[in-house]
This record gives sequence, structure tokens and C-alpha cells, in this order.
Amino acid sequence: MDYARSDGRSGALAIKILIAGGFGVGKTTMVSAVSEIQPLSTEELLSDRGVRVDDTSGVETKTTTTVALDFGRITLREGLWIYLFGTPGQDRFWFMWDELAIGALGAVVLADTRRLGDAFPAVDFFEQRRIPYMVAVNLFDGARRHDPVVIRRALAVPEHVPLVPCDARERESVKEVLLTLVRHAREMSRVGA
Amino acid sequence: MAADEDPEPGPLVRMFAVTGGRARPVGEAFDVIAVVTTIGMPYDPAGLSPEHLAALRVATRPTTVADIGTRLRLPLNITRVLLSDLRREGLVSIDPPAATAGVLNERIYQEVLNGLRAL
Repeated sequence: MDYARSDGRSGALAIKILIAGGFGVGKTTMVSAVSEIQPLSTEELLSDRGVRVDDTSGVETKTTTTVALDFGRITLREGLWIYLFGTPGQDRFWFMWDELAIGALGAVVLADTRRLGDAFPAVDFFEQRRIPYMVAVNLFDGARRHDPVVIRRALAVPEHVPLVPCDARERESVKEVLLTLVRHAREMSRVGA
Repeated sequence: MAADEDPEPGPLVRMFAVTGGRARPVGEAFDVIAVVTTIGMPYDPAGLSPEHLAALRVATRPTTVADIGTRLRLPLNITRVLLSDLRREGLVSIDPPAATAGVLNERIYQEVLNGLRAL
């Protein structure tokens, strides 16, 4: 099957990076800051429910059958792209994370110091699946600047996982975050190899 | 079809009509950033929907599933159903993302780092 081939017939390569974190932490803002396209929020159908046309008559009221999925794109060169996917913030969409996480280079867990607890599920998720991840602490206006050591301890993030401050609105800041993640993922692949 | 009986079907009902009511792609699963490339044109275009044909046109240059969905203004799951049809017909190839394909090697990491720095 096509899927099993180790090199793309087209020679084109796409790389996936996930932007995770609690609801309203700034995931879409972060994607917008570096994406060359407006982050697209597509209404996704939940494929695991086996929804059929006959079942969708009340679709407007059945909000559980759709989920918004944001993504942006960075073209590094012809045929080499990075896709940034903002993971759904609501807990009931965890199964979508599973699918998105397959084949991802790594993940950024975006954290807000005012609601650090919201970042727990994402940290847990990537730890358990051994997906390279880092924590980016979004410094909103007026957000108190916390000691990174304290944040690391509060989130129970291991020492080798990068934890950096960022401004999700600033392109340069987000670029720095992505560079940190890619370096970390490369490091992990060397260790794991 | 049920969707046709509703004078004002919701957008998702209309989209399911595009896939003939199917919510799952046929054949082996593929990623939202798998790269799709058109490798043939149908002998009988009448057998394909306008959306199928639009997808074939977009993928004449290698394009990801996510971008095809964007161009067709369709949700990714619907897009995947259409693309799985085209794969079954032998009209497109669908290549996995770099990481899944195991080609995320030193060279690619370095190229990604250089590319990001140059943005």
C-alpha cells in the first residue's frame, strides 16, 4: 500500500507540530503568529461515531458531532512544509488528539500562569505517548511572571523538557519556540535511536 | 437522499451528501498531512463528483490532505473520504508524513531548523 512506502513518491514532505493547552490559552493566536495562511477552523465531523446522513437531521443542535480544528502552515521550501495543529481544547475530544499525534514531530504545550492546571492533561498526554514536547509559558499582558523552576515543579515537567516563556502574538517569539521544539525533538530522536 | 428532503439542510448535512453519507474513508487510514499526488485522470469523469474532480485538479501538484480540504472548503474527514475513493480508483497516490515514513532524519531536522531561522 502507498502508506507503507518509506519515501514519498512525490518527494514532498509534510511535518506536523501540535499546539496543545487548555481552552483559550492562545493556541490559535500562536498558530496565526507564524502561519502563512489564516488558521483555518474547520468544522470536523467525529469519524469514530459512524454518523450517517439519516442521523444528522438535528445536526444544528447536536454540537457533539462536530469539533473545530485549527491549523496553519509554514512553507520552508517547495515540497517541505510544517503544519501547526491547534489541538481541541475540550476534554471530550481527546480521541482526536490521538489521531493528530500520530506522525507528529512534536508538541508545544502552551501554558497560562493564571491557569497552570489547564496544561496538565496535555503534559500527561505527551509524556505517556513519548512524543517530544516542550512547555511554552504564554506571558499575557498583566500575567504575573512566575519563576520557571516553580512552573516546572507545578507541572511535574522533567528537567530535559524545554520550558520557555513566550508571547504567542509575536512571530519571532513563536519562531524561537518552534526552533526549541525541533532541536529538542532531534535530541530525543538521537537518544532514542 | 435524506439531505435532499430538507429544504434548508445544515452545512454538515450538505457535506455528507458529497460523500454519499459516508463518514469513513475506504482502505488504509492516512494522515491529515499525508501528501496527495494525482497520478492519473479518469477514463469516465462522469463517474466522479465535481468535488472528486476538483481534488484531482488540486493534487496535480503534490498537496497535503489538509490543504486540499481548504481548497475544496470541506472538512478534513469529508475530504479524506473523497481522496480514499480516488486512491481506490488508482487516480492519486497518498504518501505519509515525514515522521510516519521514518524519514525524519538528521538532514531533515537540519533543513527544518535552517528554514525556520530564515523565516
